[in-house]
Amino acid sequence: MAAIELNGLTKSYGTSRGIDDVTLSVREGEMFGFIGPNGAGKSTAIRTMLGLLIPSSGTALIMGQDSVIQGHVIRKKVGYLPSEVHYYNEMTSRELLTYHADLMGLTDTSAEMEQLAATLELDLDRLISDLSFGNKKKCAIVQALLHQPDLLLLDEPTSGLDPLIQNRFFELLEARNAEGVTVFFSSHILSEIQRLCHRAAVIREGKITAIEDINSLLAKQMKKVRLVLEDGHAPELPTGASDAHWSGSKVTFDYVGATSDLVTWLAAQRVVDVTLNEPDLESIFMNYYRRES
Amino acid sequence: MNRALYLKELKRNRKNATIWTGIVLAFTLMILSIYPSFAEMGEEMAKLMSSMPEAYARAFGIDSNTWASIVGFYSTYYGVYITLLMGIFTASTGATIVGKEERDGTAEFLLTHPLSRAAVSSTKMAVLGTLFLIVYAVQSLVAVAGMAVFGDDVPWETVAAMHAHGFALVLFFTGAGVLLGSLLSVKTNFMGPVVGLIFGSYFLNAIARSTESVEWLSYASPYRYLQLHLDGGSMDVAWGACAAFVAMALILVAVAHRRYLTRDILG
Repeated sequence: MAAIELNGLTKSYGTSRGIDDVTLSVREGEMFGFIGPNGAGKSTAIRTMLGLLIPSSGTALIMGQDSVIQGHVIRKKVGYLPSEVHYYNEMTSRELLTYHADLMGLTDTSAEMEQLAATLELDLDRLISDLSFGNKKKCAIVQALLHQPDLLLLDEPTSGLDPLIQNRFFELLEARNAEGVTVFFSSHILSEIQRLCHRAAVIREGKITAIEDINSLLAKQMKKVRLVLEDGHAPELPTGASDAHWSGSKVTFDYVGATSDLVTWLAAQRVVDVTLNEPDLESIFMNYYRRES
Repeated sequence: MNRALYLKELKRNRKNATIWTGIVLAFTLMILSIYPSFAEMGEEMAKLMSSMPEAYARAFGIDSNTWASIVGFYSTYYGVYITLLMGIFTASTGATIVGKEERDGTAEFLLTHPLSRAAVSSTKMAVLGTLFLIVYAVQSLVAVAGMAVFGDDVPWETVAAMHAHGFALVLFFTGAGVLLGSLLSVKTNFMGPVVGLIFGSYFLNAIARSTESVEWLSYASPYRYLQLHLDGGSMDVAWGACAAFVAMALILVAVAHRRYLTRDILG
């Protein structure tokens, strides 16, 4: 049984676009990336899976159960981390998490709560209204993990977190995944998906444009190369280079191909300086789609 | 119904309920406590009453006969102020009790728990019903105690009838508030529509009472069917009207409940 099974899932808001005919399957125990630019429909897809939005057509089966009809049963097994966290301002994090545990029907979660809060450096006794965006996000992470869910639906989970806490959060995810928890990780940051996920779906303008194994996506990923060469040295660029711009002894170009081939080519040149950049997401998409079409 | 949500909602509404109940109680006590002074004024008060424009006195149920007893005196204020205050509190709470979660962004927190929408809606309605019963019961008890202290030979059947009508009327306004909350955007400030509905209903009936030529207006007001002013010295329970307005309140809540089950939740 798949952890998530979306079949032609469509959500439209009158004339404006939501998601269109989204079909994908996530295996149990998988870490699945869901990548796309802002406004692509990632949050709409997740909110439809949770039963917050009623699909215009299609179905979302979560652990074999329909998200609309059996939503309340599904949610017992799901940990959800929203992109924007809105909590009851008059509560402390501890009160909110205790309320969460009550709604989940849990009895004593204080030890687990303390441990997660310590890992994420969250002060449980501060009022929600006094928390920064990052600290609210930490509270949301504790909430998503506290009830030991079988499936984690994470929507832009790292926004607002500093790199240290991001790292601890990723370690928590990896540990939970090792215990068999399925992770659905939505992000517009490719490197996060690369680090954690086995497969990823690319969503653009509400439609799934690709579902790829991460290694395959990486192999197809474009890199931006910037070289400073010794004066008078202007070699022929390697196979896979495109969109080259020369300025004296400096050259920038896009490269698609095996990284080892690029390194071999670089080693043969008289290079003063080299920079390899992960291009912004839009550039990757543009390059990816151009090649796919 | 979910116990954790029920307790949380009661706590969340505690301050608001306390303030409104306090206002209603203070007003009830103030009216009843000033009655002995009015009664002592005797003829002077009768003269003052007769100097009022007839249409005005009819509209607001004021006349020397009515004010000759503590129940009559109380009925004028019960109809004009107390039911309006209770109605505004319960109807505005009804309009916002579900939508507030969406307006504040907390609906996503609530509805990503293992609660069906039906459970959320019914629990919120149970909280609303509890708040309604608290404010209604406490006001009624204080009114009864006040009349026992400040009045003589109180016709309790008439008091019971008046409060039965008040119950049905305020419950109807509460149901109307719940439906308004489900029909309008959650970002709406509901106090305006709620006050408009309640005061509009009252003044429609008052205008109709003041002038025979526009009496037909009163058919559109619940105050016509659920009498609160003690015009003739006594009052019987209008069981049919009470049942009809209680049923209408339940239908309005049921319509709002059904809408909630099938609509998108804003994030």
